[in-house]
Formats: sequence, C-alpha cells, structure tokens
Amino acid sequence: MVVIKNSTIRNMIKILVPFVLIPAAVAVGVFVFDDKSYAFVSLVVALLSVVLFIAGFEMRRTGTGRMALVAVLVALTVTGRFIPYIKPVVALIVITGMYLGGEAGFLVGAMAAVISNFYFGQGPWTPFQMLSWGMIGLLAGFLSKLLKKGPVPAAIYGIFSGVFFSMVMDVWTVLWYNKTFDVGMYIAAMGTAAPYTVLYAVSNVLWLLLLKKPLGSKLERITLKYRLF
Amino acid sequence: MTALSEYNPIVIAIYFLSVAGLAMFIMNPVLLFVSFFGSLLVFYTLNRGKKDRSKGMFLLLFLLLGLLNPIFHHNGTTVLFVVNDNPITTEALAYGFTSATMVVSVIYWFRGFSTLMTSDKLLYVFGKISPKFSLMLSMALRYIPLFANKFRQIKAARKALGLYRQDNIPDTLKSNLKAFVALGGWSLENGIVTADSMEARGYGSGRRSFFSRYSFKKKDLIAVTVTLLPVLAVIGIKLSGSLDFVFYPEMSGKLLNKGALWAYACYTGLMMLPLISDAAEREKWKSLRSKI
Repeated sequence: MVVIKNSTIRNMIKILVPFVLIPAAVAVGVFVFDDKSYAFVSLVVALLSVVLFIAGFEMRRTGTGRMALVAVLVALTVTGRFIPYIKPVVALIVITGMYLGGEAGFLVGAMAAVISNFYFGQGPWTPFQMLSWGMIGLLAGFLSKLLKKGPVPAAIYGIFSGVFFSMVMDVWTVLWYNKTFDVGMYIAAMGTAAPYTVLYAVSNVLWLLLLKKPLGSKLERITLKYRLF
Repeated sequence: MTALSEYNPIVIAIYFLSVAGLAMFIMNPVLLFVSFFGSLLVFYTLNRGKKDRSKGMFLLLFLLLGLLNPIFHHNGTTVLFVVNDNPITTEALAYGFTSATMVVSVIYWFRGFSTLMTSDKLLYVFGKISPKFSLMLSMALRYIPLFANKFRQIKAARKALGLYRQDNIPDTLKSNLKAFVALGGWSLENGIVTADSMEARGYGSGRRSFFSRYSFKKKDLIAVTVTLLPVLAVIGIKLSGSLDFVFYPEMSGKLLNKGALWAYACYTGLMMLPLISDAAEREKWKSLRSKI
C-alpha cells in the first residue's frame, strides 16, 4: 500500500474516498450490472470506505495517549446510547471531532456503532451506521473552528447531523427492501422516520449545547497538558 | 454453550455472513422461505430455553413491510381491488411479502450471529484485520463497565455532599449532567494513565503478539469447506439464471426447474449444518455421560 506523505493530500483523499466512491459504485451498479444490485453495491461501498479509513489509520504511527483517549470517548458514547430517547451519541461524536480532529471523530463514530450494536442489534445496517456517524465526526473535525465560535453554528450542525443520519439510513432501508431506489418509497420512509429525525436533531442540539463547554474544555486541557493531537 | 461456539470465530463469521448474504441478494421466494425457517430454527437452537421477548415486534415488522409495498407500487396486472383510484395488485403484495420474509430472516440470522459472536471473538477477528482498531475496541469494551461503575460512585459521592437532587425533572437532569461531566474528566485522565502504563510496559516498541484461545484447527478447515461449497454452488446457479424470478408486470419464472432445485437443496443443507453439528454434540455428550 502506498503511504502518502503530504498531509493535505492525504486529508483530501480521506474526504473524497467515501464521497466519490459511493456515487461511482452506484453508477457502476446501474450501468454494468442489471438494475437490481444497488443494495449490494451500496453495502460493499459502505464497508469499503470504513475499511479504507481504518487502513489509513493503521498505517500511521499513533501515540498511545491518542488511542487511549479515543477508546475513552467510544466508551462514553456507547454508555450514552443507553439513555432513553434523548441520546448524547452524536453530540459526543461531534465534540470529539471538534476537539480531537476529524480522524478521531470518525473512529469514535464508527466504533461506537459497532460496539453499541451488540446491545441494540447488529445487522446489514451496521456498516451504514458506522459510515454516517463516522462522517458526522469527520466533518465536525473539518468545521471545528466554525463550530467552536458559538452556540448557533453548533446547534445548526446538530440539526444537520440528525437529518443527515436519517437520510443516509433511509437510503439503505429503501435499497434493502425494494432493491432499486424508489423516490416515493424514500419519501414515505423519511415520513415514517420523521418523528425520530426530529428527536435526533433535538437531542443532538440539546446535548451539544450542554456538553460542548464543560467537556470541550476538559478535552482541550488534557490535549494541552499531555501534548496530544 | 453449543457445539457451534467451539469453532474458530472466522468460521462462524463466514457461515452467518454467507447465509445472510445469499438471502439478501437472491430474490427467490422458495429460497427465502427456506432461509426464513432456517434462521428461526438456528436462532432458537442457539437460544434454547431463553425467552425471545422481541418476536412480537418482528411479526409486526413482517406484516408492516409486507403490506407497505402494494400501497406504494401499483404495477402488476392482477388487480385485487382499488383504493382511491390506486389499484392494489397481487404482484405487489407477493413482492412485499417476499421482501418482508427476506428482511426478517436476515435480522434473525444476525441475531443468531450475535449470540455466538461474543466480544472476545469479535476482537479476534478484528485483530487479524487491524490490530490497532481491535486494541481500541477492546479498551473501549473494558471501559464501559468501569465507567458505569464510576458513574454510580460519583453520584453517590455527590449525594452525600448534598449536591445531587432528584426532586423534579430539571434537577434530575442537571445533577446527572454534572455527574456525567465529572465522569468525562475522570475518564480522560484515566485514559492517559492507561496509556502511560502501556508505554511503560513496552507498547509500541516492537511487533505486538496476541494471546488468543482460538486456533485454526483441522475441523475448522473442514467446516469452512463444507460451508463454502454449497454457497459457491448457489452463487453459480444464481448466475446461470435458474433462480431468477420476476414479479412485475406478471409473476413469471419457473420456481421448480432443475438448477433451482439443486440450489434449494444446497441452501437447505447449509441451514442444516449448525443443527446437525449441535445434535451430534448433544448425542456425544449423552453417550459419554451414560458411560460414567
């Protein structure tokens, strides 16, 4: 495997891989295979992009302290998923991305999905959950300067990530059930999921605003004190 | 404990992922019917004597998914009845219930998979693929009970200091939030201590070796072969087109042609593997016990 030295290019690839590969593979599914293989292609792509990301992480040297902090945040996030209805999961992922960088955000999102699904049910949706939570964390890392500015950008990002999660998961629901993408069914799926989407958005905003300051300052302090990240 | 959990985790993963994968991507009513009963049988064999509390929920999901399709899809030639100018067709209904069978059987395959695939086995599989990822997973898995315990301690301490109130909902939320943030601070410091301790013991100074109680034995190799042969056969038959079944505009496709019958036989054999292995182990256990 090729290791790319330039960090900007590496970061670019990290963003581009999931964003470009998914539409590309879906297009391949349409034009090369018969029109029934969307579900298969999308599953392969979701898995692939998570695996690629982890492979990139595996290649580089990472300080033990950074790994331990990521493990701590994964554990906190998984514990948070047990809170009924208003869950701090996405808020914790976003805070990780903001203060520890996009890569840590992605890892916490992906790992929290794997581990918590042991309690909440594994299934073919696990790779999609890993990918969408991971992407939310990754994006939070790239937007960290903006998100740290005040409560309004953070609240907007909380709403966005709730909607984003629902939208990605509903694409999979429709593909899995219907084999091909169907706009009517997608809208229906979004409609039935609407109460949950609202609940996700509300809990994301609420927890982000509550936890951003106290937890963020703790993360900042610890990274400064031990020269991590 | 069943005989199946004695196999190498990789064998278990290959078995469940291929069985569920075939069900997911081959829309053949007979095959899915076999998969449905196979998944239930395997799940209940693995969870013998335990109560399945969520079966009502899955029955509801099955009905909902089955009835959802004819409401959204109106293609198909055999009209059953018309609702608000929208025809409800037999084909759409058949497709809906075939899809619902697929979804519920895949869920049950994964439930069976989760019963066998305990976290130590998952770490073994992940450790083969990505040691760092697997290390972080195992650290996180250890932290979860530790944090839950610490959270209780923090709450108890705050209660003793008179700082923890549960008189009304805002008070409860505020107290829990304070305790959670305190937990966050403590756990981050604890993580650093862990990292220091790991480094002091030489983590990162060379290649890591793993302890694992799973080794790839001869019986695992046999199990993988016995699993993969019928899987490949079914994939081959699927690619030859014998399993094709078209729902729209009219249901067409011979469900009982020669190739398809072979595929059903292979798939049924695949379902029987865990049951046979389980039964064989029980028989062995009984016969050994009777000698004592």
